[in-house]
Amino acid sequence: MSTFGLLQIGLMLSCTTKISSLHCNHLPLQQSKVIESSLQLLDKMGEKFPRQCLGEKMFFRFPEQVLKARQKETVKVAVEEIFQNIFYIFSKNLTLAAWDGRALEQFQNGLHQQIEQVEACVIKKQTHYFWSREASRLKLKKYFQKIDCFLKDRQHSLCSWEVSRAEMRRCLQFVDKVIRRLDD
Amino acid sequence: MAIAGLLSCLLVALAPRCAGGTNLKSPQDIQVYAVNTNFTLRWNYTEDDTHVMFSAQYRWFEDFETDETEWKELPGCQNVTLTECDFSSAITDYYIKHHLRVRAETREDKSPWSRIFEMIPYYIAQIGPPGIELQSTNGVIKIKVSPPEANRVQKMWIDYLSFKYNLVIWEKSSKAEFRKQSIFPTDTITDLAPETTYCLKVQATLPLDAQEGLFSPIHCIKTTQKAKDLLCPTNVRVLALNMMFHLHWNSQYKQRVSYTVQYLLGYLKKLHSDHSANWPHVHGCENITNTKCNFSSIITTALGFYYLRVQAMNEYNRSCLSDEVKVDPLVTNEIGPPIVKVDISDALLHIQISPPGGSENKVLRDHYDLSYRVLYWKNSSNNEEEMKMKVIKQTIGTVSDLTPSTLYCVKVQAFSEAYNKSSHFSKDECIRTAGDKMLPLIILATFVSALIAVLLVATLIIFVLYQAYNQIKYVFFPSCHPPSNIEDLGGQPFSHPYLLTTEEPTENFRIIESIITEETNQIDFKDYKHSKQSSRDSGNYSNDDDTSGSKVSEEVLEKEIV
Repeated sequence: MSTFGLLQIGLMLSCTTKISSLHCNHLPLQQSKVIESSLQLLDKMGEKFPRQCLGEKMFFRFPEQVLKARQKETVKVAVEEIFQNIFYIFSKNLTLAAWDGRALEQFQNGLHQQIEQVEACVIKKQTHYFWSREASRLKLKKYFQKIDCFLKDRQHSLCSWEVSRAEMRRCLQFVDKVIRRLDD
Repeated sequence: MAIAGLLSCLLVALAPRCAGGTNLKSPQDIQVYAVNTNFTLRWNYTEDDTHVMFSAQYRWFEDFETDETEWKELPGCQNVTLTECDFSSAITDYYIKHHLRVRAETREDKSPWSRIFEMIPYYIAQIGPPGIELQSTNGVIKIKVSPPEANRVQKMWIDYLSFKYNLVIWEKSSKAEFRKQSIFPTDTITDLAPETTYCLKVQATLPLDAQEGLFSPIHCIKTTQKAKDLLCPTNVRVLALNMMFHLHWNSQYKQRVSYTVQYLLGYLKKLHSDHSANWPHVHGCENITNTKCNFSSIITTALGFYYLRVQAMNEYNRSCLSDEVKVDPLVTNEIGPPIVKVDISDALLHIQISPPGGSENKVLRDHYDLSYRVLYWKNSSNNEEEMKMKVIKQTIGTVSDLTPSTLYCVKVQAFSEAYNKSSHFSKDECIRTAGDKMLPLIILATFVSALIAVLLVATLIIFVLYQAYNQIKYVFFPSCHPPSNIEDLGGQPFSHPYLLTTEEPTENFRIIESIITEETNQIDFKDYKHSKQSSRDSGNYSNDDDTSGSKVSEEVLEKEIV
């Protein structure tokens, strides 16, 4: 095959990959925006923590070491996993919580977009394989499993939701602090 | 010799038993095969003995690594005859480390324990196949996917919303060509040929786990005829500038038709409930007749996907839905150019940038993390000099090192590095730099000093000329008319008091002499008067006077001469 033919094929291949390539550059910026927005919306969707629920406060013990990994990439993927779990928790039966529907919708929508885009980039880049075998990841899964079980046990009552919302808020605030330090 | 040989043979035969070891070999190649929460232990055993049974043990690490429990009997794997067993009931915590071991047993004998198999259930489990429901309508296939472990109480994959489903579809007749696409739990497969049988299968995946699950069984279905309905809106597209979103579409319907634009928040597609029927309407785009809609009001946050579709309805209340269009606000939106103002002060060119979308529209700045590309150049009549560029993040920029009396032009472009978007350039804004401030002062000073110098020189020249004129006049044109007293001489002799008085009759000679001396005295006196001007002697005289001298001086002079 002549070199000219090879060149043509090469050009064509590079062109097609460029057209079909997903640009993932905005994800770090978007991630910090999603955290910021989610915290605001969590505040907006309900009132201050109700007094009658003080008795039901639980200590869930968020595994902070999962966000203290040395590799920046690992921390970013951990945050995505946290988003996924929060999205799942807030998709449950929220009728008893009686929160602001619009704020809740926007909250879920924002998390969902971020998750979708990261997943698309993950499939493309295939760099997150190492995260899937990360040891501290299981601790994170256990943490969210505890919250899920807690909600199920209390039949998704108002107080169980308020406790969970406060916990998610604490979790996101910690994530926010870590991400800000990383980006500096 | 023979006895020794026999004894050694016996010893060899007996030795293993006596040492406490066994005849049985331990099982080899232990594996665990797991799908969802079903765990199967498998091993190899090469011995042909049919009376052999197997038993397994297990233990786990309570607190993620540290304490291990004692070995316990593995339920479901006690006295099994096959080389595999199901121990699903034993595993309760899927996130902690477990150890397993197997050994072969007969009534009399037990093999040594096999090598320990270490595992974390969550990592070793595979994602099981999802469930599929199909419906063929109007040339498309509607698919409804149920997650793996749909009806299970105990789940391995608790967060079933995180599943991403992959569909593989092919024409039944041509098995070679197939199409792979990602689908939502409730979705529609379009781009299919009508009246054709298609076969498909679906798998659930977890991208962040880097896991692809098992495929569902293959389902085959035939597509129906696709009725081409001219009522359906086509070519639905989105145009967005500075976060103002407009939907446009085309219509091929000839009669009267009204449109309603509907929307759906992106995350709802991830849930397993079917939302396809009831999408909320976009306020202001209900029962409209024109083919465009401003749907900015529903984009409440820039973060999140939105789906839009147009429902067309004719006068007989027959309706048709257009294709859906997905909107990612920050990616779909285009950034408009900024507004630029230029100003010159203190030999600096100040550039003031108003961000696109105005000062109220904070979304653009907040989410895009905008920067500005400033291009500036000297716009001279001959040839334009090269453009210089400056990238700034703030909305105020300055340019220094300006050359005076030059026309500078500026244009600015807003861009977002993260989203790889840039606006058009703003209009050229030009401003001229002031001339050199020092120059007018210098010119003025030079002019004034020159003027003074000229005046001085002129004055000098005039004076010199005047003096020269006087000299010339004196030398060449003296005024010689006699003084007034001498003119009176013809009438009355010696009327002047200063004349010497002599006796009348006798001294004629003397009288004439005295007259002559008088005249010469007068002349001398006149000379003296003239020369007086140039000499400085005799304090009685004033220097600057051209007077005819005092009478006293004349008297003194007369006396001297006589």
